[in-house]
Amino acid sequence: MPTAAFSTEPRSLVRGQWWAVQDVGHLLRLRAGTVRRRRTLVGLAVFVVITVGAAVVPAYLPGAAGDGYAFNLLLLMPTAFAGFQLLTLASAVASGGGRELVPRDQLVAYPVSPTTDHLGALLLAPLNIAWLLQCWLLIGSAAYAVGPAAFVPMVIGTFLWVLAATAVGQVVAWSIEGVRRTAHGIAAVRVLAILGIGAAGALQLSHRLDDVLDALPTRRLVMGLDAGFGWHWLLTVLVIVGVFVVAVALGAVPAHLTARLQPREELRVESGRYRARPTTSSDLGAVLRVDRASVWRAVPMRRGLAVLAVGPGLVSLAGDLPWNQLTILPGLVASGGALLFGVNAWSLETRGALWRESLPVSPGTVFAARAWVLMEFLFVASGITLGLAVLRAGVPTAAELAALLCTWVVVILQVLGASMRWSLRSPYAVDLRSARATPAPPLAMVGYSTKLAASTTVTSLVFSGLSQVEAWPLSVLVAAPLVGWSMLRLLKARDGWVEPATRARVVMTVAG
Amino acid sequence: MVSERVPRPVVDVQGLHVRFGEVEAVSGVDLVAYAGHSTALLGRNGAGKSTTMRVVAGVVPPTQGRVLVAGHDVRAEPLEAKRSVGYCPDVGGLVPRATPWEHLQLSAKLRRLGVGWEDRARDLLERFELGDVAHRVTSGFSHGMGRRLSVVLAAFHEPEVLLLDEPFDGVDPIGVEATLDIVNDARARGACVLVSTHLRELAIEACSSVLVLRGGARVATVTAHEMAGEEGARAYRGLLD
Repeated sequence: MPTAAFSTEPRSLVRGQWWAVQDVGHLLRLRAGTVRRRRTLVGLAVFVVITVGAAVVPAYLPGAAGDGYAFNLLLLMPTAFAGFQLLTLASAVASGGGRELVPRDQLVAYPVSPTTDHLGALLLAPLNIAWLLQCWLLIGSAAYAVGPAAFVPMVIGTFLWVLAATAVGQVVAWSIEGVRRTAHGIAAVRVLAILGIGAAGALQLSHRLDDVLDALPTRRLVMGLDAGFGWHWLLTVLVIVGVFVVAVALGAVPAHLTARLQPREELRVESGRYRARPTTSSDLGAVLRVDRASVWRAVPMRRGLAVLAVGPGLVSLAGDLPWNQLTILPGLVASGGALLFGVNAWSLETRGALWRESLPVSPGTVFAARAWVLMEFLFVASGITLGLAVLRAGVPTAAELAALLCTWVVVILQVLGASMRWSLRSPYAVDLRSARATPAPPLAMVGYSTKLAASTTVTSLVFSGLSQVEAWPLSVLVAAPLVGWSMLRLLKARDGWVEPATRARVVMTVAG
Repeated sequence: MVSERVPRPVVDVQGLHVRFGEVEAVSGVDLVAYAGHSTALLGRNGAGKSTTMRVVAGVVPPTQGRVLVAGHDVRAEPLEAKRSVGYCPDVGGLVPRATPWEHLQLSAKLRRLGVGWEDRARDLLERFELGDVAHRVTSGFSHGMGRRLSVVLAAFHEPEVLLLDEPFDGVDPIGVEATLDIVNDARARGACVLVSTHLRELAIEACSSVLVLRGGARVATVTAHEMAGEEGARAYRGLLD
């Protein structure tokens, strides 16, 4: 990697940026060396197959390009384009500017440019189940809306928009992260978020939200893409590509500015004083206290929880979701919560794991504490979301209430069981200090998020259906075996942890 | 009469083998360490020092062999063995988002320490110049501060077996002095001390006997005196090659 001194001379600046681009390749190769080649190729092939499928199949479905549902979908496309922009923005902001191609502590000895960091984060942005699902949904909706005769130009443009929105989200996220790192920056960003939410709420309450959505600039983009191959389409595509190129290049500027500032939130946690509390009365209580500190004092967990819990809650509040559709929320939020640390739950202590393991406490107690801390984290996150979502949902029927409560319990136990199992099977040495850190490598995260999304969505849909049946005990009857199954899997994970050789492997791995 | 003169073996390791998959980290280590004595484990990187320490600490189970700590088999009675041990691991050893006081509190609770542990904890933190940061999370600590706290955590419950893995690594002279005092105090109250280090001079200063490991096996057990000076350095190099 280059080690030349920084210079503001134009030629040197361009050369520096070119080196930064080349370094992305070096880091990618370094990262690729740590994952199985076959798994990467399979993952890539699955992505291509699903993307092509999402782009082509809906165009040939009955009703595509029709006057009914397809036409309504076309009318909603500008809002969907804007929604995708909001998603990429929230995702990049929550992760402090985007994920790291290689963890910061592993690159501390190398002169890696913030430009490399920015481009790496951009490359990792799609390795996120929310991004992938929304991308496929957007492309599929576009294809269905315009039908077989015009889907190719529409889908091409939509895919380019997905890329451009991701790059724009990255620029804004770096800028917000830069502001956060200035004096009073955290408060400023919070005020900005509250103002944004307040403005959206005011528009909704004054019934002017539709007017605003109709006036979004994405409307022109959709119209241009719907025009079919021609000058109008070409111009629209050029605008989108231009936005993408400018955003990719421009993102390096806030990335550089942000890199020069100290991450205040992390420093505040590390330099803050924490009041001593009385000794607990039980071993479990003592272990729980340290585990809770590991979770609730971590910046990525706190920031992730805020976005995860409040975001879907506000969206459902604005969308006025009925009770039978609220069942989708607990699974969504619990899955997201597990992806903050739960899928690699033993990594919380990092190198402290060796000392923790030398303490005279039953491994079963240690497991119970870790599972409990993860469970309460998931309950708090999904509880906040549901609390917001039910504000406008009116009074539920007994069946709707039972279905929602059963979904909540079932999906949390599902996510908990899966997380504790994966934590035991594939531990990773990670430092969850930074808001940009993830508990597992990017491809593993995609795998985890896909599995969690699939299982919790199926469960949620089952209970959504049950909420329509006017017999609330039915939900409880369906939930009982699902709870039993999840508990069984959790106990199996506990048995694995209690086994000394397995535990030693996990402890030694997370200790690095 | 004889039993009063012969020190009591507290750590007794016989034919220890530790395998991680295909890799054999320890291949047949025998080690006996006595009450009131300190033993240094010396050897190159990968010699098996840290793995041996981890087995004695109850962190890693032995693949083969017998390990008795204070009369307890680490495999059959892991909790009893752990209660006798104070362990300072070679890497980190601290929970990043917990404060030193929270570490001490957890250890005190799990080790069933009675009234008065707070005073000893405060005293140790002061001796290791960590009193000012007792309520700050350890992720903001320097390497040396982390090492010093790890020694405090290993020693504060006055264990029967004190295991210090690389306790001098990156520690300033005051920290080194405090660690040497801890070793001497432990020895004086009859504890068995095992110190793993790369630093021969400090090992000699801290310990009465030295065990040299190479390639996962013991190659020599000598007195600290025999390892001292130029002659000792040459002998040590000879054992490493």
